[in-house]
Amino acid sequence: MSRPGSAGDGVRRALAPLRPWLLTAGGVVIAAVYLFPVYWMVISSLKANPELFAATPTLYPHAPTLAAFRWIFARENVGLYLQNSAIISFSVTALTLVLATGAAYALARIRTFWTAAMVVAIMAVQVLPPPLLVTPMFVIFRQIGLVNTQFAVILATTTKVLPFAIIMLRTSFAQIPVELEEAARVDGCPRFVAFFHITLPLARTGYIVVSSLVFLLAYGEFVYPLSLMNHKDLQPGPVGLYSFIGADFADWPDALAFATVFVAPVIVLYMFLQRRIVSGLTAGALK
Amino acid sequence: MSRDRFLDSPTIWVLLIGAAALFLLLLVGYPIAYNLVMSVQEVTLGNLPSFSRPWVGLQNYRQLLADPLFLLVAKNTLIFTVANVAVQFVLGLGLALYFQLSFPASSFLRGLVLVGWMLPPLVIGAVWKWLLGSDSGFVNYALQGLGLISGKIYWLADPLLSLVAVTIANIWFGVPFNMILLAAGLAGIPTDIYEAAALDGAGPVRRFIWITLPLLRPTIYALLSLTTVYTMRAFDLIYTMTHGGPLDSSNIFPVWSYRMSFELFDFGGGAAIATAMFALVLVVALAYVRSVNAERPM
Repeated sequence: MSRPGSAGDGVRRALAPLRPWLLTAGGVVIAAVYLFPVYWMVISSLKANPELFAATPTLYPHAPTLAAFRWIFARENVGLYLQNSAIISFSVTALTLVLATGAAYALARIRTFWTAAMVVAIMAVQVLPPPLLVTPMFVIFRQIGLVNTQFAVILATTTKVLPFAIIMLRTSFAQIPVELEEAARVDGCPRFVAFFHITLPLARTGYIVVSSLVFLLAYGEFVYPLSLMNHKDLQPGPVGLYSFIGADFADWPDALAFATVFVAPVIVLYMFLQRRIVSGLTAGALK
Repeated sequence: MSRDRFLDSPTIWVLLIGAAALFLLLLVGYPIAYNLVMSVQEVTLGNLPSFSRPWVGLQNYRQLLADPLFLLVAKNTLIFTVANVAVQFVLGLGLALYFQLSFPASSFLRGLVLVGWMLPPLVIGAVWKWLLGSDSGFVNYALQGLGLISGKIYWLADPLLSLVAVTIANIWFGVPFNMILLAAGLAGIPTDIYEAAALDGAGPVRRFIWITLPLLRPTIYALLSLTTVYTMRAFDLIYTMTHGGPLDSSNIFPVWSYRMSFELFDFGGGAAIATAMFALVLVVALAYVRSVNAERPM
């Protein structure tokens, strides 16, 4: 009788060089299972009507067609939704970066009780949910006549992303040694010149991460445009998508095509910046 | 004062912080205060533009507590939050541990999983509504193919299942965030501790329980409080997939507050729910801030 476990040890030893590749295979399976819903959305958008609703769904489109895509651009005015999304998201990103830069820099460089208290307050504001804030915001905007403007949505969405941007940029600035700026100032360089020529370029990675995350969050915002505007012509993509699927009846071919179009820029942007976003996200949320 | 001295004076710091602080004060602080005021007023579409509205004391709150929906919504919110926080954490920890093993393409594959968290919530709601459809949804087809169910499951139309359906979608959405924060926490644990423990004869399970979990504790606290408050944002998914229905079976407090304001036009009632939720969220937020500061003193 052999020693218990010796057969297992032999198998384990034989498999040892393969282990990393088996783990990679496992990782591929995990990613594939996780991303299946996205795959399913894209291939469903390429199916025509009988195939789309078949009782036995096809795992890939047997007769792929772009008909739904042509239809939504020609008849559903999806181009306008995308244009509104772009206007709102870029405005939010610009406004957020302008406001966040000064605050983040000051909060990184000045350490007093009051700046520490402000950081705590900003972190608390960061988690306030828009579906709850929107009730008073709507009433206030209604009283000052801002309802039904994209400006109101830009302001409201900025409140959602600004605290997060300040906290993340503050981390970036805090990592840049203040001695670099002081050295420049000894040479007669004013503080704000030192900031633009030394500090800002060094915080470049932080800015790339923050601006792309802010953009993505603004791009996906739904509650504020839904509640603060009721003109269809002003609405961004999420509200447009909601009009296809919201009610009991859903217009699936158009909804899936629009969802695919709407999500494409997100995936492209993410693929380009994946590594930086991952590192920035982990640094910003917990530091 | 010369320009240069102005730029080096404390005034500039106050201005730099002041711009953002004023913005947040006007657009977050003021609405929260205003919300509190509205919660003790009768606010209808008619008196919306005016500032003088009938004061009703705590009547809005009393009406909410007496509302037959209150207990149902409270129960739904509790189940939804606990299920989301627990399952997202367990799955996120599992994925973080798996992708921490050294193998080719591990960080690339982990990055692929993170894509889910970047997607617009409305798209996620749409995709899951499509996947969970009763007639041509893939989930029913797959479960039938595996022999797990015989008939159709009405995920979104059955009051017993709608909360499960939106929970599944929200877990899918939240797992990558849990994974990435736990991965960051794991990466911060020095490897020599594990080596020393291994030399002392501690197996993988004991190393996990006695080293990984205690050293991960600050991350875990921060993460659990963050996920708790982020489930309040599940509004988008629920509103898209079930609208809180059928028969309010998937209604949670943020959805109830929103529908009270924007569908029943009872802004006082909506404000009362929001005020109670703000209090709850701020308590959890303070727990989060405390755990973050404990980890990394400012």
